[in-house]
This record gives sequence, structure tokens and C-alpha cells, in this order.
Amino acid sequence: MSGTGTAAGKPQDGVIVYDPRLCTGCRYCELACSVWHTGRIEIGKSRLRVLFSESGPERFAAVNCQHCDDPLCAAVCPSETIRKDAATGWVLLHAATCIGCEMCVLACPLAVPYFDEALKVAAKCDFCYGDPECVKHCSSGALRIVPKSEALTMNEAQYLSAKE
Amino acid sequence: MGAFDPRIFRLDASGCNGCDVELVEMTALAPLAKLGVSLVDQPADANVLVVTGGANFKSRPELEAAYGALQAPKIVVAVGSCAATMGIFKGGYAMAGPPDAALPVNLYIQGCPPGPQAIFRALAHAFELPTSGLEHLLEVPAAHRGHPQVDQAKCIGCAACVNVCPAQAITLEDRNGEREIRFTHQDCIFCATCQDVCPSQAISLDTQVAPWFGAKDASHSISRQPLAQCLACGGAYAPAEQIRWSMKKIAETIAMDANVQAQFERSIAICPACRRSSLAESRHAKAILTWVTREASRRPANGGVESKRSGR
Repeated sequence: MSGTGTAAGKPQDGVIVYDPRLCTGCRYCELACSVWHTGRIEIGKSRLRVLFSESGPERFAAVNCQHCDDPLCAAVCPSETIRKDAATGWVLLHAATCIGCEMCVLACPLAVPYFDEALKVAAKCDFCYGDPECVKHCSSGALRIVPKSEALTMNEAQYLSAKE
Repeated sequence: MGAFDPRIFRLDASGCNGCDVELVEMTALAPLAKLGVSLVDQPADANVLVVTGGANFKSRPELEAAYGALQAPKIVVAVGSCAATMGIFKGGYAMAGPPDAALPVNLYIQGCPPGPQAIFRALAHAFELPTSGLEHLLEVPAAHRGHPQVDQAKCIGCAACVNVCPAQAITLEDRNGEREIRFTHQDCIFCATCQDVCPSQAISLDTQVAPWFGAKDASHSISRQPLAQCLACGGAYAPAEQIRWSMKKIAETIAMDANVQAQFERSIAICPACRRSSLAESRHAKAILTWVTREASRRPANGGVESKRSGR
């Protein structure tokens, strides 16, 4: 399943954004992600996570790869296994050269990469090589693909304004 | 040479044939007949059993039968890492070894595979063969790989070596706030993968010749690293040295202002499990990443940055 239809190399300007106000917590994104990447319904192997809170001012949050312009996971990777694809902007992990040091898991503030104990390598979001399953299966529109500049504006308003 | 005339019967107990190739090479290089060593085709004619392979369910009975038929003094030589510890086949569903679980082994020749010189050197010593004039067969080849030795001062405890070791010779144990990484030399297959992957160049293979010994090697190399405690849950989650190494490596390519740097240092002091399960932490994390991405977007495209950064 994964690895088919790889469109790597095609210029792309979209990134995934998440709006907690629209999220319903159905977790279809997690199921779709694990099915596409592992062929199994296994939420533990999903590359993104949806978090819940019964109380709190916020009900939902997502741990999803931001495909950063200066990826911390790539900066810390000693084997240059994680790289930002210059053409597409995706931050990709090439499992064949991963040495299993778990440095990326440690470095990412969101801890997006996780260590697969069975395969002894790290795994992370690969944008499904162009057509993210999580976005396709999001019924409420909480996960969307928007142009990069727009995403930055949205994220600044959502995460930076409160602080600065 | 004493009164003992070694008559060798060779049995492949489900190995990969690498050791067998080296054995054939050894018999081609060394004038065994001249040295009083013969190779025989039936275990009943032999007094030495040379075994390769880690012994699976099919070959173990054959191994036991061959040992039973052997003439006195029934000397068993285990050639290769599999014959000593099952090597890379350790834990395989078909394995019923190693050979010394079925019969007493007198001599282990370590290697994956051991070279012809290593095998000859061990046999020559064990059987007290007259080796004058054969010094070239006793030499240690250049670029010989020995046991991995870890330098605790350089080790960051990341456990990449543990995860790549194909022979499970490197083990990890986290206890009492400390991580212990142990290199068990009898399990080593000398592949040097640990040395190759080590991010902090803490592992180097010594040049000790492929060892041979009457009992399994008990030597090992150990690194102990204190573990940092998670700010949120208090659990020990990663070696403090690995965290320092990560922050230093990131600082080489990504510049953060003091405020963001402080937030990043706080985030890395929280264990990944807590970070990816807390709503508040995920918001903090996205704030850091948004800041980093904004700074990157303000940088002129291809403004002299190296290839590791995005060119967009």
C-alpha cells in the first residue's frame, strides 16, 4: 500500500493544518493513516494522533507533522535519514538508512516521529506522497491542506498570538 | 608432534556455509597431511569433530549421532559464531542449538566466518602442530576486525548500536535511573555495524585476533549513562548525554532566539510519551515549530544556506 503512487519530486505548496474547533474526535484520520501505512487498523501505528480532553478549555488537539521548513528531526538525525525534500517540501524518513537512535523522537517538540519496536526504526508522516489519507477521511474539515503561506498565518494566529 | 593424530570429520550443522568455505580454504592453504592431520568421511573413523552452524532441529540429532560414533578422545571444535552462540540465527524458530547444548565443545574459533588463518592458528595450537616454515599462515590479516570496545566518555547512550546489532550481542537495560549498554563479546560476529552507526564515534573494534578458547569468552564492554527524568511524569526516559548531544546538533543548523530556545529546552526535558499525549504540550510544541518555520520563511531563498536546509 504505502510506497505506491509516489509523486516525490513534484513541486507542491500545500501543508496540513488542523482546526481543533472543527474536530469531532472521530479518529478516522488515525485509522486511515495506519491502514495506508501498515495495511492494518492499528491506531498505535498512526503517524498522527488526536488528543481529547473532557474538561479543559480545549477539547481536541492533534499531534501531526508540520513538515517544518527547518525540521528539528532532520537537523538532529545523525545518519541523514530524515531530509526535507527540496521539490515537495515534505520531511521524509528513509527507513532503510535509519539506525534507530531515536534522536528524532527526542528532538521534535511534538514527538511526531515514533520508534517502531518491531522494525527497530523510526516512522513519521510522509504526506502519503501527495494525497494525505487523514485529510481525505476527515469528515468535518478539521484537517485541511492549505497553501504554505496561509498555513503559516493560521498557525501564527493560533499558536503564537497568545504568547507574543 | 605427539602421539595424537587428529582425524577430522566435518559436520555442517545448519550454518550458512560461510565457515565451511573458510575451512575448505584452510585445507587448501595448509599442508595438513604433512602435519599429520587427516580429513575423514565417516565420524566412526574420526577422533575430531569440526562443527559449523548453530544446529537446528534437523541437524542436532545428526550432530549427536556423529559425536556418539566418534573415536576417543572425542575432541569437538566449534568453528564460527553460530557454532558458539547461534550467531545471527539466535532466536530463530528452527534453532535447537548451540552445539554445546548437545555435546561438550573443547575449542571455539570465533568469527563470522573466521578466516583460514584464524582456523589454522587455533588448530595448530590445540594439536601442537609443527608450524615452522608456515608462519605466513599464522599471520593476522590486515584490517582484521576484533571485538567492539565502547568508550563511556564518548557514548551518549542512544542505543542505535543495540537496535542494529544483527547478533543481539549488544543489550540495553534501564534501571535505577541509569542505562547500561553491554557488548557481550562471545555473541559478537565482528560485523562492525555498531561502529559504523554510532553517532558519537564511541565504538571502535579492537584488533585482537579472531579468538579461540577452551571455554566461551566471558569478556564484555560496558557503557553506563545516567537517564534524565521527565519534567511532567518524573519517569526516566533518555540518557542526559543524548539530550545534550541532540541540542548541540540542532544548534549547528537552527538558530533560535533566547525565548524559543528556552521553550525548546523545556520541551526536550519532557518525555516524548508525555509530549504526544498532552493537549497543552502539543500547543507549546506547535508554537515552537511555527516560530521555527516563520524564521525559515523569512530567510532569503537559497541565501547561502547549505543543502541540508530547504531551498524553498
